[in-house]
Amino acid sequence: MKHFTLKLFSLKSLSFKTGAVLIVLMMSVFCTKLWAQEPVWFGNKNASRILYINSALDLASFEPILNTFAALHPDVRIAYRDVNTLDLYFLTIEQQAVEQQSIDKKAHPIASLTISSAMDLHLKLVNDGYAQTYQSSFTDRLADNFKWRNQLFAFSLEPIVMLVNKQAFPGNLPEDRQSLLQTIRQNGDDITKRIGTYDIRQSGVGYLLASQDARQADATWGRLLEAFGSHDVQTYCCTHQIIDDVASGKLVLGYNLLGSYASQRARDDDRLKMILPKDYTLMLMRAALIPKNAPNPEDAGIFMDFLLSDTAQKMMQDQGLLFPIRPDLNNPNDPYVVDAPGPTGVIELDQQLLVGRDYAKQKRFIHNWEIALEISKGE
Amino acid sequence: MWQKSLNINEEEEKKALKKAPSLRFRFILTGTLVIGVIAALAVNLIFDYSQKLADLSYDRLLRSALLQMDENIGLIRNEVSIDIPWSAFATLAQADEDRVFYKVESLEKGFITGYQDLNSLPPKPPVLDQVQFYNQEYSGEMVRFAWVERHLTDPETAQTVRIVLGQTRLSREEMASAITQKAIQFVLFIALVAITLIIIGSHLVLRPLHRIEGALEERAMGDLTPIDINTPKETHHLKVAINHFMVRLQKNLEQLENYTADAAHQLRTPLASLRALAENARDDIFADKNSLGSQPSNSLPLSKGESKSSPEKQYQALDNIIKQCDGLSQTVTLLLNQAVVSHRLQTHRLESIDLLEPITASCREQALTALHQGVHLSLECDLKQTLILGDSFAIQQMMQNLIENAVRYSGVDIEHATEVIVQVSEFETFYRIKVIDYGGGIPDVEKGRVFERFYRGRYDIAGSGVGLAMVKDIIDHHGARIVILDTEPKGTTFQVDFAKYKYKEGLV
Repeated sequence: MKHFTLKLFSLKSLSFKTGAVLIVLMMSVFCTKLWAQEPVWFGNKNASRILYINSALDLASFEPILNTFAALHPDVRIAYRDVNTLDLYFLTIEQQAVEQQSIDKKAHPIASLTISSAMDLHLKLVNDGYAQTYQSSFTDRLADNFKWRNQLFAFSLEPIVMLVNKQAFPGNLPEDRQSLLQTIRQNGDDITKRIGTYDIRQSGVGYLLASQDARQADATWGRLLEAFGSHDVQTYCCTHQIIDDVASGKLVLGYNLLGSYASQRARDDDRLKMILPKDYTLMLMRAALIPKNAPNPEDAGIFMDFLLSDTAQKMMQDQGLLFPIRPDLNNPNDPYVVDAPGPTGVIELDQQLLVGRDYAKQKRFIHNWEIALEISKGE
Repeated sequence: MWQKSLNINEEEEKKALKKAPSLRFRFILTGTLVIGVIAALAVNLIFDYSQKLADLSYDRLLRSALLQMDENIGLIRNEVSIDIPWSAFATLAQADEDRVFYKVESLEKGFITGYQDLNSLPPKPPVLDQVQFYNQEYSGEMVRFAWVERHLTDPETAQTVRIVLGQTRLSREEMASAITQKAIQFVLFIALVAITLIIIGSHLVLRPLHRIEGALEERAMGDLTPIDINTPKETHHLKVAINHFMVRLQKNLEQLENYTADAAHQLRTPLASLRALAENARDDIFADKNSLGSQPSNSLPLSKGESKSSPEKQYQALDNIIKQCDGLSQTVTLLLNQAVVSHRLQTHRLESIDLLEPITASCREQALTALHQGVHLSLECDLKQTLILGDSFAIQQMMQNLIENAVRYSGVDIEHATEVIVQVSEFETFYRIKVIDYGGGIPDVEKGRVFERFYRGRYDIAGSGVGLAMVKDIIDHHGARIVILDTEPKGTTFQVDFAKYKYKEGLV
């Protein structure tokens, strides 16, 4: 019911139609697209129970964890759908509506667990009543600032980074946003069209990071946005595409990338360097919730416990998959311990996230972003 | 036998004790009930209060967030714009588990931001610029809303903006229940302490009673001395009452002893005389049968007639016995009456009676007997009503004794007096009864002694010696006074004064 607000007023408000209409159009398109797409299966084919997971988490980082779970629980088969964070938000709401309209559930299996890095959208889902409560010894062990209402649980905390192509990058590698701005100004031609970042209209997490940047340092964010705009910044839906382009040299720098993906690639690719901005490093949580109408909340709970268990948390760390949420398991010498050179700004998992998703604020923010990047003109 | 009946008594006592209501139990029960009611009221108040307190504290947060939102509303190019500050929701995040709902709308242009399906009409009539708080259900939960409405004006346009900001009640309920829990623990503790104090208090309060009880139980039989134990003020009166009661009991016992002694004394003499008479009669018959010359050995005056033939003698002897029996019977009646009077005086309260009634009744009763003895009894009275405080039966007995006495002594001298007069007259504060006879009179030296028990002025006249003693008892009991006067030209006058009912206080 809350997303109607978004939809309805996107249609109504003609002045900001582009960004908003896009969202709506996407919504109607992606659903059909998503249903058609076959999920990735894990575990025994003959397992008696199926756990549908909708997740905005690249399989590259998650597959080992899913396999381990499937090995531990042979009676559960996991159907894993990788979904963009913003799509995931609308899909979860849509699936609640599916339940209400009692559409054939077999054709449109409803997820029993959703995982997202767009903390704000997930928190809004909980706030608006789309999640159910879950409690176990594992969730109880989790610190209060990593969960909300016992409905939303964070299992990973990772830094937001810049990724540079060492060879392609002109001049010294930037330490922070100021030095990045300086480099852009000094090497305008080399930089033009060669910086990539999230399209905040398409990516939920992209919007979150941008809005948090604006919140952390409004002036820096304004200058950065202006510089991005004047140098034809490239916008993407997803982190891995940016990373691919940085690796290939098409881009010299990717801004506001998820640390887990970036570090994974930087580790294997000498051309890439991950930079934690020195002025401040945003820290983002990945969080999971069990939707209210989840058909299999029991197994979703078991999976949630597994995500928070020592086994999974250690796996994330040891295999360099994700940055674990439980610092008590961290090995001090581990490369997967965040070692930010400057202050960290942990994006808090509480009601404040709703402000960023305020309808008026979001509309204005996207509008300003479009103006700065001169995208609306282009269309 | 004795032992067995004692056991039965004890068992019955135990049964009665079981049935009897317990003072202590009642005391504790009432106290506990009262405390229970007070505790219930307190708990009720606490529930109410804790809710209010929780609402009060969290409403402050809500108001602060609302005002922060309100502060960030402005008009930009005739459009209402709101930029919700992060800090507003940081304030709300202090209620860490509570969901947040809000809506901003312009009355002219409609919805601006927030949750569109939120009801933005407050239950109370809206007043501009005044924050209202209320509970309303939204999204399946009870939500506390803060509401405000205000005007936005700039040179070109004026709009009314309404902000509704809500927060679920989780933290409030948590806080309220935490307060309630603490307070209830406290109230329960106080109640328990109070009940314990009541139980201890009841024990302490009743202990002096148990001590008195113990002191009485331990007494030897017949020990009627006053209780001598230290008791608190509250039980002092009880102790005094018991002691008074014992004094009365002692007095009663003494009277009973006296009476028993009286009775024994009264009955011994006539019985001895009866025995002598009967012995005489037997001996006479024996003597008649054996020898006419033999002399009877007794010295009784009645067996003087030696010349009388034996049937006559027998008749005489038997007649004497009968007379003696009558006398004895009279004595027994007198004793019984005395017992009854004495009992009545002990047990009956004095009440207002008409003095004339017992006097009249007594005169009427005695008139015929007196006439048999050749005495004319007359009552002189022209009063209508004579109210005194007294016992009718006792006064009748008193009159009977006085009249009997007067009649008896009328025939003492050779010159037989033929009249006994009862006079009743009224004075300012009392009624005076005079019983006047014209008999031999009482010498002055004896006047003081006639009321002594067993004192008999003349032993040749039949009498028990208790009649006038009883009269004195009755007089004393009524607080009346009796005087013995001489009748002119000769004889005795008993003068009794009874206080009038209404003047009693003054006289006594």
